[in-house]
Amino acid sequence: MKKFLNLSLIIFLILFQLKSFAEEKNYHKELITDWSRIFPDKNRNAAGPKFFKYIIDKKITYKDFIEFNKLYCAVSGSLIDPNSDSEFLFVEETKTKKKICGNYYRCCVPCSCDLMKYSETQKMKHEFKDGLKEFYVLTIKNPCDKQDFPNRVNKDYFCNGKKINKSEVYSLDDRIVIGLLHNGKSCEKDEIDFVKSHQVTGRYCNLRNNTPLENLDAGMGDIFIKLAR
Amino acid sequence: MKIKIINNLKKVMVLFLLLTPNSLHADFFEDITNQIVDNPKRLSYGVSVTDVNQDGNFDFVVTGFGYLNLALSYEDGKLINILKQKKFTDEFRRTIGVAACDIDKDGYEEIYFLNTDTYSGTKKYSDRLIDLENNNYIDLFEIEKNQRDLNLTAGRSVVCVDRKGDGNYGVYVANYGGPTRFYEYDNDIIVDKSAQLNLAKITGGRAVVAGHIVSDKIDVFAANERGANFLYENNNGIFQDVAFDYRIDDEIQNGRGTALSDIYYRGRLDILSGNWLGYHRAWVLENNQFKDIGNKDFDKPSRIRTIISADFDNDGFDEVFMNNIAEPNKLFRIKDDGKFEQINFQVGLEANGYGTGAAVADIDNDGVLELLVARGESKEQPLTLYKAKVNKENKYLRIKPLNKYGAPARGATVTLITNKRKHSKTIDAGSGYLCQMEPVAHYGIRKNEKNFKVEVKWTNGTKKLFNVSKLNQTITIKQK
Repeated sequence: MKKFLNLSLIIFLILFQLKSFAEEKNYHKELITDWSRIFPDKNRNAAGPKFFKYIIDKKITYKDFIEFNKLYCAVSGSLIDPNSDSEFLFVEETKTKKKICGNYYRCCVPCSCDLMKYSETQKMKHEFKDGLKEFYVLTIKNPCDKQDFPNRVNKDYFCNGKKINKSEVYSLDDRIVIGLLHNGKSCEKDEIDFVKSHQVTGRYCNLRNNTPLENLDAGMGDIFIKLAR
Repeated sequence: MKIKIINNLKKVMVLFLLLTPNSLHADFFEDITNQIVDNPKRLSYGVSVTDVNQDGNFDFVVTGFGYLNLALSYEDGKLINILKQKKFTDEFRRTIGVAACDIDKDGYEEIYFLNTDTYSGTKKYSDRLIDLENNNYIDLFEIEKNQRDLNLTAGRSVVCVDRKGDGNYGVYVANYGGPTRFYEYDNDIIVDKSAQLNLAKITGGRAVVAGHIVSDKIDVFAANERGANFLYENNNGIFQDVAFDYRIDDEIQNGRGTALSDIYYRGRLDILSGNWLGYHRAWVLENNQFKDIGNKDFDKPSRIRTIISADFDNDGFDEVFMNNIAEPNKLFRIKDDGKFEQINFQVGLEANGYGTGAAVADIDNDGVLELLVARGESKEQPLTLYKAKVNKENKYLRIKPLNKYGAPARGATVTLITNKRKHSKTIDAGSGYLCQMEPVAHYGIRKNEKNFKVEVKWTNGTKKLFNVSKLNQTITIKQK
């Protein structure tokens, strides 16, 4: 018994040390390092889809995929500080029109409102290093036919003529994937109530989403709205 | 029963201590600041090491921002300011960057003072290029023929570049909010050649280093703010920015302290580059791209200023000193496999220090490096001076290459080859943020190390290899 106890302690200590020696992957650093590869022309306006495409093209695990997708704002294209909090919100599912609840990592408050109003969500399957996984992604409709395509957005990132440029962004059913809805699932009633009564996703978003576009002066969302509406 | 439990606990404690990373040390540095004579609080910035008074010994040049520029010479166990001539000391032009090299090929180094009286863009006073003539320190930029291309843009760092490898040094000036400058003698006139050399880019210039980085000539790496870094590959004396191709552009970080260092002890210079409140980088070249191998202790964002890679304790492994401003300094040891082991220390930590620059030199010629730290910017503080507590059995070897004119061969690479390592060091050309180290490759010697050979790669790419039979000496080698 004593020998067993000693051996267990030794194994525990060795494992503890090995864990402390192991280098954790720094997802934020990796995105910073590759930023100029993701945005060769240095324009990241509304370019969340570029981040998503860069991440989904990597040979990574599902955990890596989740962690990478916490670090950029799908609406503005901004990087987000590691350990930032997410917003709990809902987005309408394209196919069913049901509300899907989940967590969204954003750079600033207005982006949550713009996301809720102008994006939709769809289920997507993907084969990662550790297997096939299904998750909810955030999408916008194909903007390439727009007469008023926002001039502060690099159209080449999104479009090849009137078609989505699939070498630059990821698409599902002719919609552009702009990011990941974390922990997505059908909303319960109390969750919908929570979102609607929340000071950001409820009160503030009501105000923002009922303000004419020309009067919006907060966030990068106005560029995104012009792209996604 | 109790005794058994205590015995078991003892075993666990012993095992724990054996497996715990090496983090408990006696203090690494000794504070020898009291060797600096007359050391008032002031705003200091860059530090360079050069032979200011041409007496054959190196001195620390310390710049002052609204304070005197100093030339600290080692005399009788003390560091004493030896210069009072106004062209040199000039407290009005607010000097921050400094680098020395022999631009007129007389065998002695001139001193480039980068003055910055504004944060960015156009400044009031031009830079100074100090030369010693007949015991008088003159500013070569005050001579009428040299006034065509004066630098009137705010800047930070300067580095000396022997771009053609012929001993004809030019000075790269990393400006902020205006074009980079490159000053060089041409037909006995100092002119700016930045445009014709493809260097006249506008950025937030911060640190800049020069040496054998990717080619066999002197390349330049500039760590910038609010813009991509530059890596200028030298192609017959003309430069091409290849930072993006080598994945070292670090576009959205703000560059600061930078140093050339042989991180893998493999006989080539890689790059340590600190970023202001961003990830610090340990770039090593692999398959024609730089890969960052800094671990989470090393890369942790800080208010970084100068980075120095040097063997302070003569154990044969380089340390990396990170000089932070208004934040404790950091110290790492680079292990054989390129792993950074953080060294805990108290003396030299300077938790309340406003570090602005730092440089190393064996200023007292005892075979151990001294570290001079300049402080200031937003709080007047005195200089500090440190020296590692060295095991008396540790040996050293110092290699001092001189070019064919007899001047320090800034930019040359020295490689120590033994049974234990192939360890390259640059002869520092400047300016791992405002500063420049002594022009000597200083090696501590490892345990059981033998078969010492040294290779000097000159600025033109040619090499000289020789055997070393005796340690604890400085070998001066002159280019033919």
